[in-house]
Amino acid sequence: MLRLVRNQELAAGQIAAHFPITQQAVSQHLRVLERSGLVAERREGTRRLYLLRPDALGPVRALLEDLWPDALDRLKHIVEEDKRRRS
Amino acid sequence: MTPDLVVTTTIGATPEEVFPYLVQPDLLLRWMGTWVDIDPQPGGTFAVDLGETQVRGTYVEVDPPHRVVFTWGIPGNEQMPAGSSTVEIVLRPEDDGTAVELTHRDLPVERLADHEKGWKNLLGILDSELRD
Repeated sequence: MLRLVRNQELAAGQIAAHFPITQQAVSQHLRVLERSGLVAERREGTRRLYLLRPDALGPVRALLEDLWPDALDRLKHIVEEDKRRRS
Repeated sequence: MTPDLVVTTTIGATPEEVFPYLVQPDLLLRWMGTWVDIDPQPGGTFAVDLGETQVRGTYVEVDPPHRVVFTWGIPGNEQMPAGSSTVEIVLRPEDDGTAVELTHRDLPVERLADHEKGWKNLLGILDSELRD
């Protein structure tokens, strides 16, 4: 559910279409997510639109999950390039 | 605690050739950070700036050419204060190079707990729906 609203704002009904449960159950879950600060809710007429808050899924961990693979990749290339230059 | 973050790679060089890149400031700077101040011995400083983010910690273990352990945190960051998490880098010789395994431990819980609570709540709702 969070993945659905990661990059796009969706109405509760659009989100419910992806799950084999009632729209009412999905709406209840969305309210739980909204209360815990994971998604932002916006009203447009009678529709409620939901979007994942950019800071919701653990900014520190997300940062590190990007940082370490990139860093080790750089380490690999630099070590191997230095070794080629020496030989 | 959130699960450890583990990242691996294989480098076409021996552990002896790789190790200096973990503990020599000029070599460390080439693959990590924009500024480095390190004293690679147990209790010594580990200070690296990643752009505007200051990472601060202390070396826990330096065992050439096998293992480096240092603490990692961000001063002033409530979730991850200086020295609050631990990074271990292990080098293992392989036929054609070195297996590198990096483990980042003691990561902050952040809001994943809330996320889990959300899912448990949904399962509870689903359960009651089915009973109706």
